[in-house]
Amino acid sequence: MSVWDDLVGQEQVVEQLVAAARSARVVLGESGRSGDSRNSGAEEQSGSSGMTHAWLFTGPPGSGMATAARAFAASLQCTSPDLELGGIPGCGFCEGCHTALIGSHADVESVRTDVLSIGVKETRELVRSASMSPAGGRWQVIILEDSDRLTEGAANVLLKAIEEPAPRTVWLLCAPSVEDALPTIRSRCRLLVLRTPPVAAVADVLVRRDGIEPEMAAFAARAAQGHIGRARRLALDAGARERRAEVLKLPLRVADLGACLAGAQSLVDAAAADAKQVAEEVDTRETEELRAALGAAAGVGGRMPRGTAGAMKELEDRQKRRATRTQRDSLDRALIDLSSFYRDVLAVQFGAAGELSNEEMRQAVERVAGESRPEATLRRIEAVLACRTALERNVAPLLAVEAMAVALRAG
Amino acid sequence: MKFRVERDVLAEAVAWAARSLPARPPVPVLAGLLLAADEGKLSLSGFDYEVSARVETEADVEEPGTVLVSGRLLADISRSLPNRPVEISTDGVRVIVVCGSSRFTLPTLPVDEYPALPQMPTVSGTVPGEAFAAAVAQVATAAGRDDTLPVLTGVRVEIEGDRVTLAATDRYRFAVRDLMWKPEQEGLSAVALVPAKTLLDTAKSLSAGDVVSIALAGSGKGEGLIGFEGAGRRTTTRLLEGEFPKFRALFPTEFNSVATVPTPAFVEAVKRVSLVAERNTPVRLSFEQGVLTLEAGSGDDAQATERVEADLEGDDISIAFNPAYLLDGLAAIDAAVAQLSFTTSTKPALLSGKHAPDAEADEAYKYLIMPVRLSG
Ligand SMILES: [Zn+2]
Repeated sequence: MSVWDDLVGQEQVVEQLVAAARSARVVLGESGRSGDSRNSGAEEQSGSSGMTHAWLFTGPPGSGMATAARAFAASLQCTSPDLELGGIPGCGFCEGCHTALIGSHADVESVRTDVLSIGVKETRELVRSASMSPAGGRWQVIILEDSDRLTEGAANVLLKAIEEPAPRTVWLLCAPSVEDALPTIRSRCRLLVLRTPPVAAVADVLVRRDGIEPEMAAFAARAAQGHIGRARRLALDAGARERRAEVLKLPLRVADLGACLAGAQSLVDAAAADAKQVAEEVDTRETEELRAALGAAAGVGGRMPRGTAGAMKELEDRQKRRATRTQRDSLDRALIDLSSFYRDVLAVQFGAAGELSNEEMRQAVERVAGESRPEATLRRIEAVLACRTALERNVAPLLAVEAMAVALRAG
Repeated sequence: MKFRVERDVLAEAVAWAARSLPARPPVPVLAGLLLAADEGKLSLSGFDYEVSARVETEADVEEPGTVLVSGRLLADISRSLPNRPVEISTDGVRVIVVCGSSRFTLPTLPVDEYPALPQMPTVSGTVPGEAFAAAVAQVATAAGRDDTLPVLTGVRVEIEGDRVTLAATDRYRFAVRDLMWKPEQEGLSAVALVPAKTLLDTAKSLSAGDVVSIALAGSGKGEGLIGFEGAGRRTTTRLLEGEFPKFRALFPTEFNSVATVPTPAFVEAVKRVSLVAERNTPVRLSFEQGVLTLEAGSGDDAQATERVEADLEGDDISIAFNPAYLLDGLAAIDAAVAQLSFTTSTKPALLSGKHAPDAEADEAYKYLIMPVRLSG
């Protein structure tokens, strides 16, 4: 079980990262050779050129940008004895890999934004830690999961650190697309493009890694359209599947205005319920872990030592912000599901052969296809897109979704 | 794991190791102290990703083992224990602390999630603990506090044979201290840039020891780490990367005037005149033979003037300084008499200390202070 196993359908990216991790070892004066002797000549030639100080990971949401960045970080910290024998960096077992993956490695800092932008202050702190040598003598890796959320000021602060990196600091930036990163930053990073993982590959990883039944895995992979995390949740959580089915009822309910508005409400509610469940699963565990670490007295609600209130409050604030973001993300997922329904409708209207994204709803898809014309379907897809854009601009969710529902009704 | 240890020994060790624990741990396990008992020794370690602290004491170890517990909880408990031997043992996922009639149960934290602690580099040499702490304090006062210029938040440590040079600057003043030390090997040459605040804390916390060992690894290759050890306590600190300003050429060697002023009177006078000055407005010093006149405030602002007895060799000079920087320097020289050497009123002045008016200035510590240009 190596750190690369969680990357689904990204063989090319993995190949590049493994090569970089090998040349990173050469920079450290360690063996960088691979077990395959046929390649060793070429690798020696490429020398340290495979490693660089700044990387930009791009790819559609759910394709595993952050997973790829973390796997790369782990492979740079990997200390498996097998590496001397040509093993692949990123064994997944050694202390370096393990602590890098769970997030406690001293030289792997991962920044996830729960807020909508990363400001100058946070970025300055990052730049300060980037100017230090690594604690473990290898590489200091800083992962910025939402580099598209850097404010312009923050990006300028970051730029200086990327232009003149400390010898052992590596920046791993993630953004949905190259266009989302500021050009000045983009031009200083090596670009890695992740693709939308194929449905079969996602289904396969669900079976292999999570032990899900092949039929369920195939359904979840298809329904999630390449979003690995979403596929996993759909496969494992009956509630999530039900809520998704609820969302997809909207196209059948828009004929009547009352039902149309009620449908909008239930779509927003379903997204909120999704977010709430995700939050509950994580928050309780997180809170308990921090309480124990800060020295809470035994038992539920045990007294906390003095001076720990700040840390607990900070966690609470972070959880609140995360809940807001999860809710937005869930709503966006629901809208993507909705547009996939109309794309299926369009496919039926054009008589395209093959499997639908929502194959299990073929009857409903065919009904809507029969009752409308392709032009109307296209306008409906537009309406869903417009709703996503409105939400991105912070329009109140219910307002945006209601406006969309009315547009869907008009057809 | 099971061991016995004296209450005072435990409380002191826990308190020291717990100092390095982060108040806002980035991951919960970092709020933990790692206890390791083996072969008659107990070690306690804490880490905040930047600084690691490890203290080792004697203990009666019955069963060796390693466990991670909440540092705060253990510190609170060990402080409150009666003065009796303490027995600490593990029981499944709990740690039991028994002392006299008191008994505490602590939950353990997952050891396998705890990050690897930095390796202590090989010892390069030793200095007396108190002298080292004093020298670091003299220099750290000039270090910058602006995180956008990380290089200036550090103290540069240069080792050349049996001499250690410490230097720091925030661009407005520059402090340099030379001290002798005992290197482990001849011809040793090394440099490091250590975060000033950490160095100050570390040197202070090790000042009680007769000697402090300094261990420096991998300088210049970007993998640097500096370690300090004294009286069973050791810490490591990550180094700052980047080019520290070249300072030797900045220090003037020829002067047009040299003034000597009794330090306490000088300090009092600067403090009084700067009372009327708004924050960061300069205080003007005019030196003539026998007297130093200090002035602050101008125009409609309140004016203040003070006169202090002073000795001047060379040309009369009028020069202005930021009073806070001047006071920092006067405190740092730690001497009865202050000596200020000038080239011109627009060039940096050199502040050094003397133990008596007719003594030679202390060559080991120099504080270079930039003048403030006065308009008109
Ligand atoms: Zn590994």
